[in-house]
Amino acid sequence: MSILHLNDDELNLAVLGDDLPAEAAAHLGECLICRKRRDTFLALAEQARGADPDEATRARVREGALAAWGAPRQRHPMRWLAAAAAMIVVSLLPLVLHRKVEPPALNAETVLLEVNQVLERDPLSALASEEVVDTVVPVSYQSGERSVS
Amino acid sequence: MASVAQRETPVGRGDEAALVDAARGGDRDAAEALLGLHELLVFRTCRRLLPAGEDVEAAVQETFLRALKNLNRFTGEGSFGAWIVAIAVNLCRDRLRRRRLVPFLPLEVREEDGTDPLGAVPSSDPNPERVAMARQAVRQMRAEVSRLPRRQQEVFALRFFVGLDLEGIATALGVDVGTVKTHLHRAVHRVRVAVEEARP
Repeated sequence: MSILHLNDDELNLAVLGDDLPAEAAAHLGECLICRKRRDTFLALAEQARGADPDEATRARVREGALAAWGAPRQRHPMRWLAAAAAMIVVSLLPLVLHRKVEPPALNAETVLLEVNQVLERDPLSALASEEVVDTVVPVSYQSGERSVS
Repeated sequence: MASVAQRETPVGRGDEAALVDAARGGDRDAAEALLGLHELLVFRTCRRLLPAGEDVEAAVQETFLRALKNLNRFTGEGSFGAWIVAIAVNLCRDRLRRRRLVPFLPLEVREEDGTDPLGAVPSSDPNPERVAMARQAVRQMRAEVSRLPRRQQEVFALRFFVGLDLEGIATALGVDVGTVKTHLHRAVHRVRVAVEEARP
């Protein structure tokens, strides 16, 4: 047996149950001091874990979780309030989204220019509807084909 | 050392998968059996990661409920035990974060709730001095664990107090096995040296 005891790293490995170098493993198998250091730590850890809850406690907690899991969803008063609020919002949506379309600002000069152009082409259009104009002045006349009356 | 998870879940993976499937379908008995298989892991996790005074039973119940509601998220790649412990760890972290509490392990003997952390130390020993020394050693270990960095503390607790193996701890904490080993070695070294130095 090697007279050198396990060093810190080897002792940590022994505590964790990891593989030790062959020489260290052989030493641990024969050295009461090193085994006691390992076993003392493990025993302390076991004791520090503390007692487990009794069966009654475990069953109570288990049942509580299962009841909450399987219980029907409870209707909460706040749900009605939320539903009412949602209805109000939905009903107000058209009003909120509806915007009065402002007519574009007219450019007086442009309008007058267009009017002048129309009148130059067809003075009657300013006095009567298109239908009347068509009746009084046939299309053939407008296109330059003068009819012989 | 066989892991506690292995010792306390004699049901095979196939049977466990069948329970999970049945519970997903709303089978209450299957859900109860599934919880029963792993409840000690969850109790130990919550008790070790929450500070004294926290309602451990409420935390365990909330863990169970989260697990049942999220059964569809369990892929079956790892063990169900590690998966539910992961839920417990996250829940404990949430509670600590929300309440801004510093996690520590209860050192006081609490006989009234049956969770005396020193209960395992025999008090019928004819030598009171030995009993006192043993209790002091346990207190010392718990105090050293409570002083570890948070991740080392979690790894140590899951290994020695909950009983998960390396893969289980890795799954529960969402890290790889190498990271678990690193933290575990540092934690063991620090706690072991401190405990040995404190011994007469």
